Amino acid sequence: MPLPVRQAARLATFPAFLALLILLWQKAIDWLAIPAYILQKPSDIVINAWADLPRLMSYTGVTALETLLGYAAAIVLGVPIGLAIVFLPILRRTLYPLLVSLEMVPKIAFAPLFIAWLGFGLLPKMIIVFLVCFFPVVLNAIAGFSALSEELTRFAAATGAGFWRAFLKIRLPAALPQCFVGFKFAAVNATVGATIAEFIGSDQGLGFYIQVQTGNMRPDLAFAAIFLLTLLGLALFGAVTLVERLTIPWDIGQRRARQS
Amino acid sequence: MATAILERQADPALEARGACHLSIQGVTKRFGTGAKEVHAFGPVELTIEAGSFVSLLGPSGCGKSTLLLMLAGLIPPTSGRIEIAGTPVTGVRTDVGIMFQDNTLVPWRTVRGNIALQLELRGLDPARHTRRIDELLAAVALTDFAGRYPYELSGGMQQRAAFCQTMVHAPPTVLLDEPLGKLDAMTRERVRRDLQELWMRSRPTVVLVTHSIEEAVQLSSQVCLITPRPGRVHETIPIDLPWPRDDEVKKSAAFAGYVNVIGDVFRAYGVM
Ligand SMILES: Nc1ncnc2c1ncn2[C@@H]1O[C@H](COP(=O)(O)OP(=O)(O)OP(=O)(O)O)[C@@H](O)[C@H]1O
Ligand SMILES: [Mg+2]
Repeated sequence: MPLPVRQAARLATFPAFLALLILLWQKAIDWLAIPAYILQKPSDIVINAWADLPRLMSYTGVTALETLLGYAAAIVLGVPIGLAIVFLPILRRTLYPLLVSLEMVPKIAFAPLFIAWLGFGLLPKMIIVFLVCFFPVVLNAIAGFSALSEELTRFAAATGAGFWRAFLKIRLPAALPQCFVGFKFAAVNATVGATIAEFIGSDQGLGFYIQVQTGNMRPDLAFAAIFLLTLLGLALFGAVTLVERLTIPWDIGQRRARQS
Repeated sequence: MATAILERQADPALEARGACHLSIQGVTKRFGTGAKEVHAFGPVELTIEAGSFVSLLGPSGCGKSTLLLMLAGLIPPTSGRIEIAGTPVTGVRTDVGIMFQDNTLVPWRTVRGNIALQLELRGLDPARHTRRIDELLAAVALTDFAGRYPYELSGGMQQRAAFCQTMVHAPPTVLLDEPLGKLDAMTRERVRRDLQELWMRSRPTVVLVTHSIEEAVQLSSQVCLITPRPGRVHETIPIDLPWPRDDEVKKSAAFAGYVNVIGDVFRAYGVM
């Protein structure tokens, strides 16, 4: 096969596989005579979701806002706290072990408490998203900023560069790849946190919608909301990956070179 | 030749600093404490004349890298005293250029950017030293790779880039830890010649750590033989051969004589 054709074929493999799965789902509902209150055909899911589109869209907006605010707070607080822990020995002996032990606590277990304390609004959801994002951000930032090689530490010292100059020119760029590992991990956690927070107590949002529609025996609408949640998670992850690509293109190039 | 340019520019400030005189007085280094204590090095007495080229030859683990770190003021000796140009070393010495055993190229900068990093960290403006950077790159045949990232280079090319990074600010005292270790035989010959020419023209004080007896004899005014750990100076041998040490000199009986004498010392220690 000529090269462009082969390349196109390779790119098309996964979409074709997905299409096949959806087709199989479509047909299986008829073949197995699955009742509508258990599961519906993909085509019906699309048609029924379309009818409820305004509500789905506004709920997507609600969940997106909770997710983004919590995620942003985790980064805005997580990175500086990580830095403080790396550079202040007293925090390294107090806050760091505390964070490591709290990391073992399933953060989501706090969700009902936050709802009880703070009510049904945006704030408790934001806090729960923050909690599930904060730990990967802060722990990876700590790992990144403390992992500078001995040679580079000595190289910077030998030039007589002061703390800030060495920080900006060596420590910060050296830590960025590990920081992005944390950012991407947190991006995956963020929508999970928002959904569960909404399950526990809310009157709007996609998680709320899934719960209500499942109760109404409308798996089709629940699936529509799950699909939108997936898109939301993908969008966040994609945005972080894009920022990573723009910030540390050299690391992407290096990783690629190592793989090949 | 391209390396002619490696010469320090006739900058009066630089000339005034001159080449340094290193003095190592009863220096020892121990790592760790208690049962885990390692006596790595010394006691050593050694004087290195200003403008000389001294090679340190010794078995692995005898403390050569440790000595260079102490000379640069990056780690303190356990006991003893080090002076550079008459001033005791009590902390980091920025008038020393040190090339570490592992390379210090950062992955986020190109070759040129890595060389500039040395200047930037010292608060110098790389834009004002473009010519020197170009000349150094040409001297080690990396001109075509100036815009490449370290991961795009071979191990030997990375080492040559790190060499430029070490030399870019024209330090009057140069400490080189196995700078040619990863080079293939042919490139190594060329970089040795360039290094020698550079030294002959601007006469910095050079301390070179190497595992190659031939390399030490070819490049040095003195070769310092270090014993197995804890490293002590077994003998400092002045190499009385004509400069430059071209192929003619390398084929001479006197050259082979030095190589044999040094080889015999290490054979007697059972490390060769
Ligand atoms: N930070 C350290 N902590 C403990 N021991 C160390 C440390 N650095 C070096 N040593 C010990 O000091 C000794 C000398 O080490 P050094 O790296 O100076 O040897 P070297 O002569 O440069 O060896 P090589 O030729 O293999 O590079 C070794 O035995 C090593 O184990
Ligand atoms: Mg060494």
